[in-house]
Amino acid sequence: MDSTPTRTQVIAEHKRSGGRIAAVFPVHYSRALFRAFNILPVEVWGGGRTGNAGDAHLQAYTCSVVRGVLSAHLTGMLRDAELYCVPHTCDSLQGLGSLFLDLVDPGRPVIPIYLPRDEGPAAVAFMASELRAIYDRLAELTGSRPSDADLQRAIDRECEADSVLAAMLELQGRLALPARAFYAAARSREYLPAEQFAAAGRRLLETTVRREEPAGVPILLSGIVPEPEEILDQLDAAGASIVADDMACCGRRNYAMSTNSDPFGRMAEQILGGPPDSTRGVAVERRLAHLLSLASARRVRAAVFYEVKFCEPEAFYLPQLRRGLEEAGIKTLALEVDISERPSHQIATRIEALLETLA
Amino acid sequence: MSTVVAIGADAGSTTTKLVGISHDGVIVWETIEPTEPRMREQLERLLATIPGSGGSAGPTVPVVATGYGRNLVDTKHRRVTEITCHATGVYRSIRSSGTLIDIGGQDSKVIVIDAAGGVVNFAMNDKCAAGTGRFLEVVAARMRESVQDFAALALSSPEEVAISNTCTVFAESEMVSLLAQGHAIESISRGLHRALARRVASLARSAGAVAPLMMSGGGAHNVALRALLENELGAAIRLPAKPQLMGAYGAALLALRRAAA
Ligand code: SF4
Repeated sequence: MDSTPTRTQVIAEHKRSGGRIAAVFPVHYSRALFRAFNILPVEVWGGGRTGNAGDAHLQAYTCSVVRGVLSAHLTGMLRDAELYCVPHTCDSLQGLGSLFLDLVDPGRPVIPIYLPRDEGPAAVAFMASELRAIYDRLAELTGSRPSDADLQRAIDRECEADSVLAAMLELQGRLALPARAFYAAARSREYLPAEQFAAAGRRLLETTVRREEPAGVPILLSGIVPEPEEILDQLDAAGASIVADDMACCGRRNYAMSTNSDPFGRMAEQILGGPPDSTRGVAVERRLAHLLSLASARRVRAAVFYEVKFCEPEAFYLPQLRRGLEEAGIKTLALEVDISERPSHQIATRIEALLETLA
Repeated sequence: MSTVVAIGADAGSTTTKLVGISHDGVIVWETIEPTEPRMREQLERLLATIPGSGGSAGPTVPVVATGYGRNLVDTKHRRVTEITCHATGVYRSIRSSGTLIDIGGQDSKVIVIDAAGGVVNFAMNDKCAAGTGRFLEVVAARMRESVQDFAALALSSPEEVAISNTCTVFAESEMVSLLAQGHAIESISRGLHRALARRVASLARSAGAVAPLMMSGGGAHNVALRALLENELGAAIRLPAKPQLMGAYGAALLALRRAAA
């Protein structure tokens, strides 16, 4: 995906064509809903060049994703966004949502998304009604009311992009690409319009050499977001091949397909039918069963939990997940990082040592 | 002296250690010096001093580098982490499976070793100085004592002041305020060693430590830390003959193994 446009280019192009931009924070929301209003959701996961301007406004035990998002806001990096969308993923993001209500100028609405902490029909009904409420809010903001057919078309486009992402994830580790290049391609889903992502992803799948077997030791990467990207280089350099992904920004959004004739029900079923995720409060037993089946299908030898420091949803699950995987003969390594900092020497040593134990 | 047939270089954050071994894996040459800011040049200089191994042209025998600065050696040499090297060195020295606690200058590690000498599991402290040799260096220096004398003071005290911080910066200020309150330096020293031992013991538990316990690294020379760790973990600690050289020794053994393969 060498010719993939940058975020800045995509935002400029979308605005030129008369569209609006929504800055969306992690993890789950419906892209289709925004796109039906010609609003392009551009995700912000902290890290990168967001800096540390947010630190002064938050408690020291707030995770670096939230600190990065606030820094991005305070330093004007989100100035192109006409609205913010804050999913209530965890207490920290919920807190940030309330801060934004005070900090963000009234001309730029902040839309929260409440996610059910459960599964099943009641959860789908709740999620669908939540999406309907956001629909009303967006209708009020834009003055347009897309029909059910418009919504279904928008969902179809996202499904197409999701199926390309699923194909990429299926082949992860067997595409002859450095891990950084794979994730750059997969994570362009965070800002590219669905149709552009699908086209670029298909190109990548057609033109990249496929290996019979992964080049390195097959590992599963779990966590929230692979930032800073040096971590991916360190895994490559140590001789690991990421063959299975359980990152919140990537594999945990390998959403289910739904054929529900009600567009809101369809969007809700897709989000809630995705892989079990700590940030949706799915039972740890389901998380473990999912990771075990991923690991067995891809012949994973070790799982690396690349966790953001102070991430409560992840921390609660970690001991049981590690125990369950270890009992199944899969080595585990937990790394805790501040995504605004360069990975430490100790992180590299731990990764290399893990790989040495598997040699 | 027997000929050096393999070399291990352990470029640690505080000291740099080199070991040369003979065919039968016995240490026949060793050197240790404080790590210099120009680690690459230091490693090159030390490698050139190994008797009969190539002089300034560099060693002609296999070399494995480990430690903090392992990536600074010439790329023709192999690099292996301290975790594998310490485990290899200690396993060869003590000839036992168990749990190895390595307290180095900048990090502490707990390594669980299986019956074949392989690493089963490991845990490392976070990147701050808490739980490392550096913690004791800083607090001992604040008391104007050497680390050894500071440890001896700890063992001489029947009393122990509870220290709540293992953060080096906060522990230092807590220590100053305890002195101001009139507590004896001996009981403060014991409290500081206890705080460090507790931290390392919890790291050991998190790694699933199994008996027997073994120790390597500079921290193994600290008698008070050793005694309090035994007390915290409820088991005796076995030491190799040269704890501080175990990383370099393990590296040399791996170099020898590789040459033989
Ligand atoms: S990293 Fe964890 S705590 Fe931080 S925003 Fe994401 S889910 Fe919330």
